[in-house]
Amino acid sequence: MDLTWTTEERAFRQEVQDFVNAKLPAALRAKAFAHHRVTREEFVFWHNTLTDHGWGAPSWPKEYGGTGWNPVQRLIFEIESFKAGAPRLIPFGLSMIGPVLMKYGSQAQKDHFLPRMLRLEDWWCQGYSEPGSGSDLASLKTRAERVGDHYVINGQKTWTTMAHHADWIFCLTRTDTSAKAQRGISMILIDMKQPGVTVRPIRTLDGGAEVNEVWLENVEAPIENLVGEENQGWTYAKYLLGHERGGIAGIGHCHRELAILKSLAERTMASGEALSLSTRVRDSINRVEGQLLALELMVLRVAAGETDPGPKASILKIRGSELQMELARLQMQVAGADAWPYDPEWMFAQSEDHGPSPEYSPAAAAAYFDMRKTAIYGGTNEVQKGIIAKQIIGV
Amino acid sequence: MDFTYSQEQRMLTDSLRRLVEDNWSRPKRRERQKAGVLNRNAWASLVELGVAGLLVPEEFGGFAETPATMLAVHQELGRGLVSEPAISSAVIGVTLLANSQNQVLKQRWLTAHAEGDAVLAVAWQEPGERDSQRPLCTRAAASKGGYTLEGRKILVWHGAGAQAVIVSALLDGAVALFLVPADTQGVSLQDYPTFDGSRSSTINFKDVNVSAEHLIASGAQAEQLLALALDYGITALCAHACGAMAYLTDSTIQYLKTRQQFGQPLAAFQVLQHRLGDMLIQSEMGLSMTYVAAIALGEQDAAKRSRLVSMSKVEVAAAARLVGEISVQLHGGMGMTDELEVGDYFKRLTYTDMLLGDTNFHLQRMQELEVS
Repeated sequence: MDLTWTTEERAFRQEVQDFVNAKLPAALRAKAFAHHRVTREEFVFWHNTLTDHGWGAPSWPKEYGGTGWNPVQRLIFEIESFKAGAPRLIPFGLSMIGPVLMKYGSQAQKDHFLPRMLRLEDWWCQGYSEPGSGSDLASLKTRAERVGDHYVINGQKTWTTMAHHADWIFCLTRTDTSAKAQRGISMILIDMKQPGVTVRPIRTLDGGAEVNEVWLENVEAPIENLVGEENQGWTYAKYLLGHERGGIAGIGHCHRELAILKSLAERTMASGEALSLSTRVRDSINRVEGQLLALELMVLRVAAGETDPGPKASILKIRGSELQMELARLQMQVAGADAWPYDPEWMFAQSEDHGPSPEYSPAAAAAYFDMRKTAIYGGTNEVQKGIIAKQIIGV
Repeated sequence: MDFTYSQEQRMLTDSLRRLVEDNWSRPKRRERQKAGVLNRNAWASLVELGVAGLLVPEEFGGFAETPATMLAVHQELGRGLVSEPAISSAVIGVTLLANSQNQVLKQRWLTAHAEGDAVLAVAWQEPGERDSQRPLCTRAAASKGGYTLEGRKILVWHGAGAQAVIVSALLDGAVALFLVPADTQGVSLQDYPTFDGSRSSTINFKDVNVSAEHLIASGAQAEQLLALALDYGITALCAHACGAMAYLTDSTIQYLKTRQQFGQPLAAFQVLQHRLGDMLIQSEMGLSMTYVAAIALGEQDAAKRSRLVSMSKVEVAAAARLVGEISVQLHGGMGMTDELEVGDYFKRLTYTDMLLGDTNFHLQRMQELEVS
C-alpha cells in the first residue's frame, strides 16, 4: 500500500486544471456556481471541447475512443472539472448504455453508436421506471412484440431524465409475459424521433422540468436494436445500474458545492460577523468536508479493486446522495431567509433575470428541494440498504 | 392544565377546518398563488371566522384571545397551508400595535384590522444582518411636525398586501417603531413570490415623511414590543408547522397503504413503517414544543419568555424539516413532483426554519439570554 499522490498524478491534476481554465468560457463557469441550468448546446459544446482534446470519454478504454485513464486519473479529472465550474458529462451514453454495449452489444451496435456518444451526436435517455414500477422495477409492463424483422413497443416510462433532448432511449421491455418477472425482460434501443413517441415534462419541486413521462405507442425498433439476447435484459440492466451507482457518488459535484457553501458562508453576515466565522457553521462545514474526503477514498478503494465492486457501489450511492443532500441543506441554512423569495423563472428562464436582488439567494432552497431526488433515483436508499444486507452482509 | 378544547375553541377550529378544506384545496390555493396578489375574498373568509380579530383587544372590536386559542387556530391554518397574512399581520402586526401605548394608531388600525379592512406588514429585516432585531441602515430623524424615514427593508412578509407597514428604524441611535401607511410618498416596494407559495417584499423608504403620531414606540419599549410581537409570530409559525406536519403525516400513511410494490402495499415494509413512526414522533414532539412556546408567551420575564420561544423554534424547525424530508422520501419519485400535495407541504415546512430568525440566530439568542 502506498498512500501518496505520485508525481504523475500531481502533474495530471495540474494538466486538467490548466486545460479547463483555458477552455471553459467564463459565462459557463458562472452558471455552474450560480446553479443555473446549462443548455443542451452548452453541454454539446463542452463534450466536443473535451473530445477534440482526446478527453471525451474519461471512463472508456482507448479502443473505443476513450482516455484509458485509471480510476485515480478519472477521479482527479472529475473533481478538477467540477471545481472549475465545467458542465457535468451527460451520463446516459458515456456511463450508462455505452459500457453495456461494450460488454453485451453487437459489433454493429458498437461501431455505430459508441463513436457518436463522444460528441453527443445522439442524446440518450434511460427507459427504466414506469408509473407502477419504481423500486419494484422488474414488475415493468412495457411490451415489445416481435413482428417480422422488428419489435413493436407499447407502454409508458417515467422519470426519464432529459428525454426532451433525447434522440434515443435504451428501454427495458417485457418480451415474455409467461416468464417470471426478471426473466422476460429485454433491453431494446429505440429511436425517439418517430411517430408514437410522446414526451411530457414533469414539473418538480424546484419548478424545473428535467424529468419526463414517455409514452410509446406502436413504436418500432429493428431486431438489430436488441441488446444482447432476448429475455436477458435484467442482467444488462443490473450491470448498468452498478455503473450508475458508482458515478452517482457525485464526488466532483460535492467538491463544487462545498466551494459554493464556503463562499456563501464568507459573505453572509449574522450577529456582526461572517457566518464562516461562526463556530456552529464552521463545525458543520468542516464535518461535511471530512465526510467528502472519506467518500473520495471509498470511490478510489472500490475502483482500485481493493474491495469487491458490485454491491459496494450501493455504499457509494447512499453516501454520495447523503452528502449531496447535506451540502445543499447547509447552503440553504447559511442562506437562511435569503433563500425564501423564489420564482422558477429566475433559475430556468434563459434570460438575464436571475433573481430579485443580490441580497437574496434563490438557488439555495431550490437546490435543497431538488437534491432530495438523489436518495430516490437509481434505486432508493432503502433499496440500496437492502442490497447491502443481502449481497454484502449475506443476511 | 387542560388540553381539551373548550366548546368555543372546538366550534372555532371545526369551522376553520371546514373553511380551509373547502377553500384552500390545492387547485384553489394554486390559482390564488398564481394571481400573485392577496385575494381579498379569501382573506375576508378568514376575517369572518375571527382570524384577523383573534388577538385584537375587545375595545377595538377584537376577541382578545389567549395564546392557547391562537395555537389551536394556527394549527388549522397550517393543515390547509393557508398562506394569507394570518401570522404576519393578524399575529405579529396586531400584537405589536396592541401592546403599544399609541391610542390613536390602535384605534385607527386595530379596529380596521379586526373588521378586515386593513392588513399590516412588519418590516424589521435588513440586508447584511437579516435576523437582527436591531435596524442597521434604516434611520429616522425628527422633522417638522413628525419624522423622516430613510432606508431599506427585506423579506417583508406580505408587504404588498398591506395597507400599513410597521417599520423599525434608528432614531438618535435607539430603536424606534413607526407605522407608515403603504401609500405614503417615498415608499416603494418590490414584491416577490416565495418558494412556499407566499409573498415577500423588499421595501425602500426614501425621504418618507410621517406625522408625529405615527411613532409607535422608541427606545427600550420599542425593542420589547418588537421582541414580544416576533415571539408571538414564532409561536404561531410553530403551530402552523404542527398543523402541516399532522396533515402530511396522515396523508403519507394513506399513500403507503395504497401504493403497491413487490405485490404488497408499501406500508407492509418494516423499514418504511419505522419512517412513518419517525414522522409521528417528530410531529407530536413538535406540538409539545409548541405548547412550551405558547405557555412562555404568558411569562412576565421577557428574557425567560424569549429563551423558551427560541428553544421551541429550533426544535419545531428541526421536526418540520425531518417530517418534510421523510414524506418526500416515502413518496419516492412522486414526492419530487409539483403534482402532489406532499411537495407543497414539504416546502412550507422548510420555511419554518428560515422565517423570524433561523436556527443559528435562535441558538445564539438562547445562549445570550441564558447568560443574562
